Amino acid sequence: MPAIFTVDPHTGVPIYLQLIEQVKRSVALGVLSAGERLPTVKQLATELTINPNTVARAYRELERDGVIETSVGRGSFIRGDHAAETAAHALSSVASSTFDAAVREAKSMGLKRDAVHRIFGQALERWYPDEQKEQAQ
Amino acid sequence: MMASAERPGAIEIRSLTKRYGSVIAIDEVSFSVPEGTIFGLLGTNGAGKTTTFKCMLGLARPDAGSVLFNGAALRPEMFQHIAYVPERSALYCWMTGTQHLEFYRRTYTSYDSARAAKLAELFHLDLRKRVGALSKGQQTALAVILAFSIHPKTLVLDEPTSGLDPVHQRQVLDLMIGESSNGTTIIFSSHQIGQVERAAERIAILHDSKVVLEGEVEQLRSNEKIIEAVFDTERPALNGLESDPRVRAISRNGRLIRVFVRRDTELVMRAFAEKQPRSLRMLDQNLEDIFLSAVGGDAAKEAGERDVL
Repeated sequence: MPAIFTVDPHTGVPIYLQLIEQVKRSVALGVLSAGERLPTVKQLATELTINPNTVARAYRELERDGVIETSVGRGSFIRGDHAAETAAHALSSVASSTFDAAVREAKSMGLKRDAVHRIFGQALERWYPDEQKEQAQ
Repeated sequence: MMASAERPGAIEIRSLTKRYGSVIAIDEVSFSVPEGTIFGLLGTNGAGKTTTFKCMLGLARPDAGSVLFNGAALRPEMFQHIAYVPERSALYCWMTGTQHLEFYRRTYTSYDSARAAKLAELFHLDLRKRVGALSKGQQTALAVILAFSIHPKTLVLDEPTSGLDPVHQRQVLDLMIGESSNGTTIIFSSHQIGQVERAAERIAILHDSKVVLEGEVEQLRSNEKIIEAVFDTERPALNGLESDPRVRAISRNGRLIRVFVRRDTELVMRAFAEKQPRSLRMLDQNLEDIFLSAVGGDAAKEAGERDVL
């Protein structure tokens, strides 16, 4: 079975953050569904060859964010209640960090606010052509 | 059964100093390894990693400082629960793998023969061969098998993957990770930062016999950043940022400035933004970058300057 998560320890991004992002993305995309069981900390740590406490930390934060629930002795599961909201929330947080990185990058290249706005508008037009028309009416 | 107080767990190293004649091998080395965690010791060649391990285990007598296992000084009976894989093989050339395992079976009450056999299979090691006939990597594998065969409470590994191929290197790391999940305290050294980056929760970096950086890997990755700013003027004034305790080093190249920040990156970033640079961005650092900037401001500076064409 292929691993559903992968991490790159060599980037500057903390591994637990990489894991959190991937679990959220998987939930948002339906790769992991409500009630589905996650690997145990030890399983995932040895599968990805990363420190067990790093996995434990990611699971703790995912639990705090309401994405997963952990019951002692049974393991960690994708939360069943409000699964749709959890997924939507997860999706928007993934999208939000992607936008954030893009805007930061644009700013670092010296683009002015107006220019970033224009580029964003063009992207919206390209990917949401219908909504754009509705709004204009 | 031994009382739990006699089992080594957490390791506390305080101001350990060792001199060989006029040479200082380690100088006031201090760090602590919480119970059940994996600790990585990094350092350039001759920085003092092996000496630290030897002093920890009583194989060298420190000139000053102390080592505590779960709050107590090392006692002979603790060796039942400590496994050590030295940098240079401590195996007997004329003995076979099986004979070494037999030696361990008689010495350690916690010796697990089924596990030893399984590990020999994992590393494709022929236990009938004499150690003298084994390659460097196979000798490393045998030392690792012996160490893990006794289910140690504390595991000290000095370059535990040297000579091993990438597949077996990964297996050693996985064994360490599995063992730490079961509560074993592990300290290891490695030249391969990628391994330390994966397996270790905390690290210490030794340089010129001293600990120059210690901390939690994820924390270091979050804290240690590079702020890169491009200004409209040549050599802009930095108004004291050079001596800011949050700043590890600064490299300048005309209008471009790179600041190696060790903490409070957002605050330093804001201070920089006030100087109205044309462009300002924050770069992540991986453990290798952090290591290089910790062992020498020069290395970091050169790296910074090399990037600028």
